[in-house]
Amino acid sequence: MTTVQAARGPETPIMAIAGASVSFGAARVLDGIDLELRRGEFVCVVGPSGSGKTTLLRLLSGLQPATTGTVFHQGTVQNGPARGVAIVFQDYAHALLPWRTAAGNVSLALEAAGLPRAQRADRIAALLATVGLAAHADHFPAQMSGGMQQRLQIARCLAQDPDVLLMDEPFGALDAMTRQKLQDEILRIVAASGVTAFFVTHDLEEAIYLGDRVVALEPNPGRVGAIFDVPLPRPRTQLSTREHPEFLRLRRDLFDFIQQFEP
Amino acid sequence: MTAGVVGRARGLILPLALVVLWQALASIRGIESDTLAAPVQIVGALGDALVNAEFWIATRDTVLSAALGLALGGVLGAMTGLVFGLVPPVSRLMRVPVEVLRPVPAIALVPIAILIFGFGYALEVAIVAFAVFFPVLILIEAAVRGVEPRLTEVARLLRLSPGARIAKIVVPAVLPRAFVALRLAAGLALVVAITVEIAANPMGLGARMILAAQSLRAPDMFATLIWVAVLGWAINAGLVRAQAALFPDAQRPR
Amino acid sequence: MIGVPRSVLWFLGSCLVLVAGLGLWQVLADSGAIPRAFFPGPDRVWTALHRGFSSGAMIGETLTTVRRMALGWALASVIGVGLGALVGLSPWMRTYVAPTFEGLRPIPASALAPLAVLAFGLSDGMILALIAFGAVWPMLLTTVHGVASVHPRKAEVARLLGLSRLAYAWKIALPAATPDILGGLRLGLTVALILAVVGEMITVQGGLGARIMIAARRFNAADIFAGVALLGAIGLLTNAALSQIEARLLRWTHR
Repeated sequence: MTTVQAARGPETPIMAIAGASVSFGAARVLDGIDLELRRGEFVCVVGPSGSGKTTLLRLLSGLQPATTGTVFHQGTVQNGPARGVAIVFQDYAHALLPWRTAAGNVSLALEAAGLPRAQRADRIAALLATVGLAAHADHFPAQMSGGMQQRLQIARCLAQDPDVLLMDEPFGALDAMTRQKLQDEILRIVAASGVTAFFVTHDLEEAIYLGDRVVALEPNPGRVGAIFDVPLPRPRTQLSTREHPEFLRLRRDLFDFIQQFEP
Repeated sequence: MTAGVVGRARGLILPLALVVLWQALASIRGIESDTLAAPVQIVGALGDALVNAEFWIATRDTVLSAALGLALGGVLGAMTGLVFGLVPPVSRLMRVPVEVLRPVPAIALVPIAILIFGFGYALEVAIVAFAVFFPVLILIEAAVRGVEPRLTEVARLLRLSPGARIAKIVVPAVLPRAFVALRLAAGLALVVAITVEIAANPMGLGARMILAAQSLRAPDMFATLIWVAVLGWAINAGLVRAQAALFPDAQRPR
Repeated sequence: MIGVPRSVLWFLGSCLVLVAGLGLWQVLADSGAIPRAFFPGPDRVWTALHRGFSSGAMIGETLTTVRRMALGWALASVIGVGLGALVGLSPWMRTYVAPTFEGLRPIPASALAPLAVLAFGLSDGMILALIAFGAVWPMLLTTVHGVASVHPRKAEVARLLGLSRLAYAWKIALPAATPDILGGLRLGLTVALILAVVGEMITVQGGLGARIMIAARRFNAADIFAGVALLGAIGLLTNAALSQIEARLLRWTHR
């Protein structure tokens, strides 16, 4: 899956933001952002409301142009959405096509990439199996639970064959049990595909549990406040990882950091 | 606010340009056709019509027939809808007869109505009433069904009599949606009245239009057509404003 | 009666009400309580239908009306949905062209009949043009609305996947607008039948509309009722057919 770029080498960041700011009219949402995503790492983003978490993710995706500064993808300047960068949106109900079955939704990404019809079926089956939806290929989104729809959206993103997977509070609308299950699934999927993950969440524990690094934003305007390395061993498990002393220490630090901005 | 005005102004560019182009073509080449009339001719015909007593009589005939038909069909439809909504078994038993009668185009009843009433007001009022009856029935029934169950529970707790329950709970709760039904039905009534006049009844604006067309007086035909559109806009706009004034809390109409 | 769903029982009961209504009509007609010249009993309407069909004339008239309605409706569908998609997908057209459509909407479709008479004379073409022109508006406006109100998230997904504008229209905007478009097609179907009848009444160029108009001039009430019954049946059947198509196309909305 991983394409080793001989020219740039594995040390070049896969994505980088250099001195970027984003303004909507007079309101500055992000200011002076410098950030690098290393190949294959799992970066989580937390921050109080108004810190521009989602705007940062959209900046990386190319959907949101930078007002000043530059975004690099694979060492070249990014001027808009690229097929190598996929997004899992929180509102899966709007992001999926309700008139297409699970298989049809995955197929959309393959059609967009111009994959010949004959080769699609196998890819679709494999992708649906990866996210545990093999038995639901013929179901419409309306016939699936929220967790299943979010798995489906992940499968469609993987069908893009991305090198960067952006996720915008993907499990925010799901119940606690489904959430934990999907956290473990996404760790497995990211590890297996070698994709670089960028995960926005408002749940501090989720950020620590998933991430190699946690970027904490400060609000008004959004800036990078601190970056925490997460030296917890992998594979991670819901019980032992969350009881690890390092986990508890990080949780404390992150909590203290966020707390200073709460009224 | 300014953006809205600018947006509307942009929407006016195309129709204005078409009118100017139409007039320019007519002026330069001269209109030989019986089908088209130049905008200037149409405006002239409309100006003549507006100072013509017969034109206003035609307008009165059309509007009055539409209004009477709306009143008759609307009241009958609303009452039937109220009964259907309050007593579900009646609604279920009447389902098949209603579904069989509803798709009959009202205009097809014109020949029967001619036999019964002859030409004139009664014919037109009857057809408009039939056309308006079913949509009002269905909208009111749905509105009664949609009355918040909590309100019905309140009525039960207060031990209101059935009559008081309808007068004090159901009717006020249904009123905003009933007004929406009225607005739709009013537009329909005008359309049906004019259709009856075009198809058969020798009175009103519809008859005026078809007569103008058959005697190849295109400017008169277009002038009346524009007048009909203005009436339709005015009635709808008036009812929208009335709705906003009477039921400020109700959902805004699309 | 065990095992029969309640809804079926209600339906059968409702059919009985219809039969009882027809029976009452028959009794009233036979007793002379209502004038037979205006309200011939169901028996005489049935006879008129039977006579019309066995002579073949009524089949021809019915087919003429259905053909006009279907042709005009199909023409209006192609133009309405095509143009609607074009306008709905282009912000430029939405700003400059859509308001004109909105402004023309309150003009009653039947009020265009005199215009059609001017342009085409009292002919078959006039009826077809009238139907197509009248039925196009609901389809056009619902398609513009449906295509323009696709959730912005879906447009973003299309951008991220790199879909072309054509692919976006075909794979996302039009399917998303299907419920709206079908609503427009349904409205258009009602309008098409009405305008077919109006057009036939004015031009008297065959069809059921002309037939009932001629029957009225001959004071033949049974023939009028037979024609009206057939028009009702056309409305009922075409609507039912469209409902079937709709149910199939909108399978995905059901849980």
